[in-house]
Amino acid sequence: MSGQFEPKIALFACNWCTYAALDLAGTSRMKYPPNFRVIRVMCSGRIDPQFVVEAFRDGADGVLVAGCHLGDCHYIEGNYKALRRMTLLRKMLENMGIEKERLRLEWISASEAARFVQIAREMVEQIKTLGPLAPRLQVNA
Amino acid sequence: MMDKPKIAMYWCASCGGCEEATVDIAERILDLVNVVDIVFWPVALDFKEKDVEKLPDGSIAASLINGGVRVTDHEHMVKILRRKSKIVVAYGACSAWGGIPGLCNLYAEREFLERAYHEVPTVDNPQRLTPQRSVTVEGVELTLPEVLPRLLPLNRVIDVDYYVPGCPPTADVTWRAVQILLSGNLPPKGSVIGASEKSLCDECPLNETKPDKVLIQDLKRPYEVIADPEKCLLTQGLLCLGPATRGGCGALCVKARMPCTGCFGPLDRVSDYGAKAASFIASILDFQDEEAIEKVIDRLPDPVGTFYRYTLASSSLGGKARRK
Amino acid sequence: MSEEPKVGVFVCHCGMNIAGTISVKEVVEYSKTLPHVVEAKEYLFMCSAPGQDLIKESVKKSGLNRVVVAACSPSMHEPTFRRAVEEAGLNQYLLEMVNIREQSSWVHSDEKQKATEQTKDLIRMAVAKASLLEPLEDLRFGVQPAALILGGGVAGLRASLDLAERGYRVHLVEELPTLGGRAARLGKLAHVDMRGPEMVGSLIKAVVSNPNVTAHVNSEVTGLDGSVGYFKANIRYKPRFVDAKCTLCGECFRVCPVEVPNEYEFGISKRRAIYLPFKEAYPPVAVIDSETCTRCGECVKVCEPHAIDLDETGHDQEAIAGGVILATGFSPYEPPEGEYGYGRSKRVLTLFQLERLLDEGGPTGGELILEGSTPRTLAFIMCVGSLGTTKNAHQYCSRMCCASALKNMLRIKDRYPETEIYAIYKDIRTYGRGDEKLYEGAAEHLVKFIMFDTPPTVNMRSEKLEVEVHDATLQEDLLIPVDAVVLAVGMSPSQSLPKVRNVVKVGCSPEGFLREAHLKLRPVEAPSDGIFFAGSVTSPKNVIESVMAGSASAAKAAALFGKEEVRIEPMIAQVTEEICSGCAICIAMCPYGAISRKQKGEKRVAEVDKALCKACGACVATCPSGAMQQAGFKDVQMMAQIAALTEKRGA
Repeated sequence: MSGQFEPKIALFACNWCTYAALDLAGTSRMKYPPNFRVIRVMCSGRIDPQFVVEAFRDGADGVLVAGCHLGDCHYIEGNYKALRRMTLLRKMLENMGIEKERLRLEWISASEAARFVQIAREMVEQIKTLGPLAPRLQVNA
Repeated sequence: MMDKPKIAMYWCASCGGCEEATVDIAERILDLVNVVDIVFWPVALDFKEKDVEKLPDGSIAASLINGGVRVTDHEHMVKILRRKSKIVVAYGACSAWGGIPGLCNLYAEREFLERAYHEVPTVDNPQRLTPQRSVTVEGVELTLPEVLPRLLPLNRVIDVDYYVPGCPPTADVTWRAVQILLSGNLPPKGSVIGASEKSLCDECPLNETKPDKVLIQDLKRPYEVIADPEKCLLTQGLLCLGPATRGGCGALCVKARMPCTGCFGPLDRVSDYGAKAASFIASILDFQDEEAIEKVIDRLPDPVGTFYRYTLASSSLGGKARRK
Repeated sequence: MSEEPKVGVFVCHCGMNIAGTISVKEVVEYSKTLPHVVEAKEYLFMCSAPGQDLIKESVKKSGLNRVVVAACSPSMHEPTFRRAVEEAGLNQYLLEMVNIREQSSWVHSDEKQKATEQTKDLIRMAVAKASLLEPLEDLRFGVQPAALILGGGVAGLRASLDLAERGYRVHLVEELPTLGGRAARLGKLAHVDMRGPEMVGSLIKAVVSNPNVTAHVNSEVTGLDGSVGYFKANIRYKPRFVDAKCTLCGECFRVCPVEVPNEYEFGISKRRAIYLPFKEAYPPVAVIDSETCTRCGECVKVCEPHAIDLDETGHDQEAIAGGVILATGFSPYEPPEGEYGYGRSKRVLTLFQLERLLDEGGPTGGELILEGSTPRTLAFIMCVGSLGTTKNAHQYCSRMCCASALKNMLRIKDRYPETEIYAIYKDIRTYGRGDEKLYEGAAEHLVKFIMFDTPPTVNMRSEKLEVEVHDATLQEDLLIPVDAVVLAVGMSPSQSLPKVRNVVKVGCSPEGFLREAHLKLRPVEAPSDGIFFAGSVTSPKNVIESVMAGSASAAKAAALFGKEEVRIEPMIAQVTEEICSGCAICIAMCPYGAISRKQKGEKRVAEVDKALCKACGACVATCPSGAMQQAGFKDVQMMAQIAALTEKRGA
């Protein structure tokens, strides 16, 4: 399974920092695994834990939530809210059999394209080791 | 004289509280039995499955089903009732969202059998007996129904027309729901009936005591606080899920100084109650660094049980992800 | 939305930038199979004129009501395609862009098939969201070309003058009975040949003589409604009890029985209950301190021009402004009693008090006299209240104290050459223009510099004071007998900030000063539009820096006033009142103070101020009942996008 398994990772990217870093990675022609599906929000503070559980339900093997560095949020403190929510959610997901590595929270500024690429590669490798999530979810559609 | 409308009531994985709640409408039940014909009610009347099978399809005006669908028998019976009924009502938290029995979806069958029959300290079972599917007694095979892989809310098994929320629904909510069903003026299919369109804070007497900014510094367990009955419980550090929970119960628990645990379930626009409740509680924790946040969250011994207490089975993930 | 969505998908080649990696044909064919997609087309450069025409024609011919453009980053061409969509007759916000250049083709050019699969996924997700998009209108607000400035110190005065000279109305509100602020209490300034009151006086004169300025002195803003472009302020005039007929003859001062410490002299001399703050105070009219006045009426008896009315009451006045500048200054760090002997000995004084002693306009006429004599040995303890030196001290450096202390050391050496001066410091930061010369000058004048890691202690042995310090350079313990100790105190956030923040919705930094929108890129703006900062209200600053900030804030305000209207993107938070229970959880979530509770019948519901909401969505994710939603990023729209992550059977 691991040889052919290509994880699908939902990437919730904040417009001002992470999305810009992704664009910078593009203009710099950096290369990273094609496993990410970007969902753009204006601020990481918009990210509802409902989105994360829905993403797992709908086929994501991993979820990356990314925003501006703490203290640098374009909207002052949205990322603090993201931090609080994701910290609690990660604990709950662990109790529900979803390993904590599958939900990752990162602060990526607009200039940190290289750092994003590193995180991307790391996360894809990690999820490959953990295996696909969908077969383990006994969800009725 | 026209035939009285036929009503059926059935219980799946249920504590019996919803049956009592129905009876809780007290004297009004006499009015009720005068206008309806109860054709099936295992807890109180002697009709059997075969009696229901004999009825023409669609001839039952409304079936009120409580309890979560846990074993094959439940699945079988609710499907029959669906065929025979015009309207099916998921009555109570368990049939609506899985309820507390739904929390069992965090465990596999062998795990909960092991727990119930062997691990619990008050069980005396030295021979390590465990229920078996079948046994032959005097040449006759007796069987127990199979346990489904997960407890399911009613709407994952059959089409549900209306929901009456609560664990159990209060007498007033039940009466209002019955009136709506008998009125002939039915709301859109899929509606929650008998309760409010707004969250509990709308009818809570303590809502106006909230300061403009609600931020909390600690999460306290109910036994740690003698709550001030004049102040919003959330502002006292108690985990009151009132803001995320549908109203209609009259804020009974809060009036008794117990924080709301969410038994009336989510509002219409929320798809996953536990995630939403966790979202609002986490958001108002007044901490800015991961360590401090983790420390306060660690005060909750069971966050999944706390936020998904009544709704785990109907949540986006439905239960624990399990390696096959 | 009652109409059936009819989605058009437009895939751009971007020359070879996209087409070189992604199989555009495959993507276009796939798009046609998606729910609600009526048409899917491709073009070489979709942003070009013919590309845009392709979209417009498709909209018209096929009756499209939603448009998905898969191309470069929205940061490049979202405005372009929004315009095209609008020109085609659709609302510009019925467009959803998919980034398949920067975020697919350019980064996965080595995995073409996977990039194509990724593109299909992203388009499927965008179509799901686009199907639920709703038309939105930009928010527009008119701008009142007038400024409300809180604080009549150098920063507020400079901002007032700059704006008034540009032709804008200015309401300058000062809570003290005089303009001038802290700088008016400085003696001779460093590097320029004038005293504080003279420098400030020139500004004051220009400000009050400008017909565009209304100076509301002895007044406070007690209420502020509205938002950028239109603020309505309530200015409360506190009674002065003395009117403009006052000739400053001074008879009333003579007869007033009340004596209290004079806060304008930092407590080193006294004033009466009826007083003039200082000689150069503006307006040049006496004032009565109602908290200490006994209403004995003696002053009234001796007032020839009958300028005193003990029964005067305050009154309120409304002012309208398009923008607000907060220039409410700082408060000097007040050492707690006992810190370095402060409050226990009259010969331990602060730098501000020393400044008054050395000022020719001060209570001693500029003579350094303490308890009847001139101290022969002085210890300056620096970094008091700053750099985390003591328990109560702030962690930050207060910037202006080194230069200020050194300036005064040189003055003392100049007038009293025999004086021995010790400068006991954690650090010396003479960073400003000409300030290094102060340091060198002090060294040349044989000021003894002693560096500490652990703060010194001041012991009081009967008459003498002793400073005990561990010299960090020499690694020696020193015991220095001195006649007086001067504490170079730093700057604390203004004590009036809680009052100000009660009226104006601005946040604080961790240090307690007001917080700017961005420390480096937007240092004189508040996060909320239309509110600006000038001077030490946001962080310690010297006079030069405060004046610069005053001009900067005026420039920002002027840029705002120069617009006829403010246009704001409409992706703001909205409350569905039928579902809102008034639980108030959202209010604390908004850093802009945009949410409040409004009365609706017997209950209250949340209300979003459209002008203040910046569309971050934090309140939306928090709202426990889903009543709060964000236009363009509603839960249903986001969930539809997420649900399309994987192809569903039959989906």
